[in-house]
Amino acid sequence: MRIGALFLGLFRLLVYTFLLAPLVIVVLASLNAGNFLTFPPQGLSLRWFWTFLENDVFIDAIVYSSILAAGATAVSLVIGTMAALYFVRHAKREAEIVRIGVLLPLILPEILTAIALLFFFYEIGIGTEYKIALFTGHVLMTLPFVFLNVTTSLQGRDDSIELAARTLGASRYTAFRRITLPLIAPGMATGGVFAFIISFDTFGISFILKGSGSAPLPIQLYDYLRFNFTPEAAAVSTVSIILTLVLVTLADLLFSRNSKA
Amino acid sequence: MTEVSLRSLVKRYGKTEALKGISLNVRHGEFVSLLGPSGCGKSTTLKCIAGFEETSDGQILFDDRDISRKLPEDRDIGMVFQSYALFPHMTVAQNLAFGLEMRRLQKREITERVGRAMEMVQLTPYAERYPKALSGGQQQRVALARALVIEPKILLLDEPLANLDAKLRDEMRGFIRDLQKRVGITTIYVTHDQGEAMTMSDRVVVMFDGEIAQAAAPEDVYDKPASERVARFVGNANILELPVRTNDEAGVELGLPGGLSLTIQRPVPAANGTLGVMARPEQIALTDPAAGHLRGRISKRYFSGGHVEYHVETDLGPLVVLAPTSQSAKEGESVGLDFDASRLWPLPGRTGSAESRA
Amino acid sequence: MRRFRASLLILPAAALIFLFIVLPYVTVLVMSFRAPGANGEPYGPGFGLQGYAQFFDEGYYLWSLPQSLLLGIVTTFVCLVLAYPIALHIAGARRRWRGLLYGIVLSPLLIGIVIRSYGWTILLGNSGVINSTLRDLGLIQRPLPLMYNDFGVVLALSHVFLPFMVLPLLSALQSMDPAVKQAARSLGARPFTIFRRVTFPVSMPGVQTGCILVFVLAISSYVTPALVGGMRVKTTTLLVVDALIDQFQWPFGSAMALILAVSAGVIVLIFARLTAMKWN
Repeated sequence: MRIGALFLGLFRLLVYTFLLAPLVIVVLASLNAGNFLTFPPQGLSLRWFWTFLENDVFIDAIVYSSILAAGATAVSLVIGTMAALYFVRHAKREAEIVRIGVLLPLILPEILTAIALLFFFYEIGIGTEYKIALFTGHVLMTLPFVFLNVTTSLQGRDDSIELAARTLGASRYTAFRRITLPLIAPGMATGGVFAFIISFDTFGISFILKGSGSAPLPIQLYDYLRFNFTPEAAAVSTVSIILTLVLVTLADLLFSRNSKA
Repeated sequence: MTEVSLRSLVKRYGKTEALKGISLNVRHGEFVSLLGPSGCGKSTTLKCIAGFEETSDGQILFDDRDISRKLPEDRDIGMVFQSYALFPHMTVAQNLAFGLEMRRLQKREITERVGRAMEMVQLTPYAERYPKALSGGQQQRVALARALVIEPKILLLDEPLANLDAKLRDEMRGFIRDLQKRVGITTIYVTHDQGEAMTMSDRVVVMFDGEIAQAAAPEDVYDKPASERVARFVGNANILELPVRTNDEAGVELGLPGGLSLTIQRPVPAANGTLGVMARPEQIALTDPAAGHLRGRISKRYFSGGHVEYHVETDLGPLVVLAPTSQSAKEGESVGLDFDASRLWPLPGRTGSAESRA
Repeated sequence: MRRFRASLLILPAAALIFLFIVLPYVTVLVMSFRAPGANGEPYGPGFGLQGYAQFFDEGYYLWSLPQSLLLGIVTTFVCLVLAYPIALHIAGARRRWRGLLYGIVLSPLLIGIVIRSYGWTILLGNSGVINSTLRDLGLIQRPLPLMYNDFGVVLALSHVFLPFMVLPLLSALQSMDPAVKQAARSLGARPFTIFRRVTFPVSMPGVQTGCILVFVLAISSYVTPALVGGMRVKTTTLLVVDALIDQFQWPFGSAMALILAVSAGVIVLIFARLTAMKWN
């Protein structure tokens, strides 16, 4: 029994290590002073971060990805929250259809969805012009995450609280703003952060629909990695990881303050 | 048919003591209820007996054998949980068979015993149903049968009726009680409902703050509570603090406003100064304003079918009186109150001497 | 009036899904039946079954299908084996630890798929962390083939999709009444028996969800097999993208994608049938 427990503990430790390994390795590799991605690093330095800062391609990609993610998140937040409100409050027999429908972009293989969108936009004559297809794809990818998080924050809530506010003289709009919105705000915040990160990191959609001109960060990284093997990619990745962590921490702070109030 | 014996059971969580030395003997075939408000330690006691909590100190004996270090699966107990804890992926019959399979019984014997157990709780037609398809009362009976089919030494029940509606609860009370008598199994029952504890048990153990306040037959807990707190927790209690006039072998004479007095014909040692006595609402009768021991005015009247409950303002403070419906008084009416002196119960710990009060 | 106002809430999402998911997938279906194009056109006029025929004619494409499905099944199995002890651990952990463990499990999700796969190439490459460490220790002469093969791809895919297995398992385990395990103990069951007869079967809905999710994600993943497999592990998904983007053969690529989707659907259905739960 003792040995069994020990073995199980060791196994768990291995799995946790396995989960964190690539993350740790990328960060360590970015601090490599050498020219190639070798291990152990040939001394520590931040030189690849400076190289990255002077490389317009990656800087542009990060800016471009951020704008794309912010836009897609904003649209998803509105559409996804509305859908969640409908699903929890009003959907009856059609509830399961609504849920599966909104989650379709998550359930269907991303690369296939990307291809389907590509054909569709070619059929209607737009193709990958004006980044419309790319933006639509990103909204689709992020929508399920907003929907799931807002739904969770709505479920288990007493449906009658908004009605209670109405009996106390609040208008439909006031009741929503003063009662419902504060309740779903944490769900929206978490959903928004998820959406932003998903959009920032999504590959299949961006890869197929990027069109010509500037491309999102994952695509630039992928292209770079196919032909180069310097720690600069690791530096870019590290910056991207830090950005994500900052965002998650911010949302967490916001969320915990909200839930305390 | 096992005698359970708890010896100075202590359970500590960090620095807080959940159980502060519980000692209790449960006789063969006895039905004992642990009664108390939430957080009093009754569930912790049950978990210790079941083995789901390790005791910090003290012993638990089944028939004089210390089992406090045994694992739950080796204790040979039957337990019914508040949530029933039925295995959702097994049918009723499979649920009942589980414990027997753990005991590696022959297939034939398992089928036979499961069949008998299902008959016992009247669930034979539901053998192949899954728990989800059963009503609350049916699930409850499956849980009971599952615990009993293994013929355990003792039966532990953790608030098993808490999730049922009122009418079903009353039915199940009788059902569990009858079943327990028929099987004759030693039973420990945890509840916060004093009515449940009273109607079902041979003995009620009242617990507060991790300690036993009183362990006695239901009648005694009701009529002769060990403390004011027990008196108030078990039913409604009027507590009067009266000056002691005389105290001797024959009994205690207590003074009442208006020069009247009440005599308890029983010696109460150490009763000087004042004495606290308890009178249950039904032990006080309404009389004409001129008669009785005490005068009062009815402030509230609640009709409840079988009885009428009156709240009466008196010189000794507000009292609650339960009167038969044949006798009726209106709110605001002046009445006299007549105490049944033979049933007045002096509360230990509520005696004080005139000196110490001064 | 109330119904009408309420239906306005779902209108944008419904329109979005219908226009940009349902219609495009219909387009793919239609595209798969179009005639192949000539002179660099992605597709030609008229309809035909050439797209499907090409897939079944050429062993190169046909063989990629069972290999991809097997890759998905193995990845799913590895994920299940790795995820279950973790899910049990988190479900039973104290509150304080739970957040941290949860964070570790979700960490692969917070880093993009490109970076994750890239991390694996640093670890598994011929001069990567593992090989160079083993060489420095004198345990090996030549580097172990950890990358550019099925082993590397399964390992990296398992990492990428492990959270999708842990989360459903965790939610199944957490929604389980803890008294059920205690009940089993009180009836005389020992820890391993409880796991085999109670915990695992009760968590079956989570196992089902997790397996289906990971399988579908694994067989349709693109970046990880591309980077870690170094184009030497040819999955059907890689061939689909190759046919569509590089070779510009839209009907053929669409047909191949649909064949992959239908095959995966059949496997999911068989799996769901095998693990059907009457009690749920």
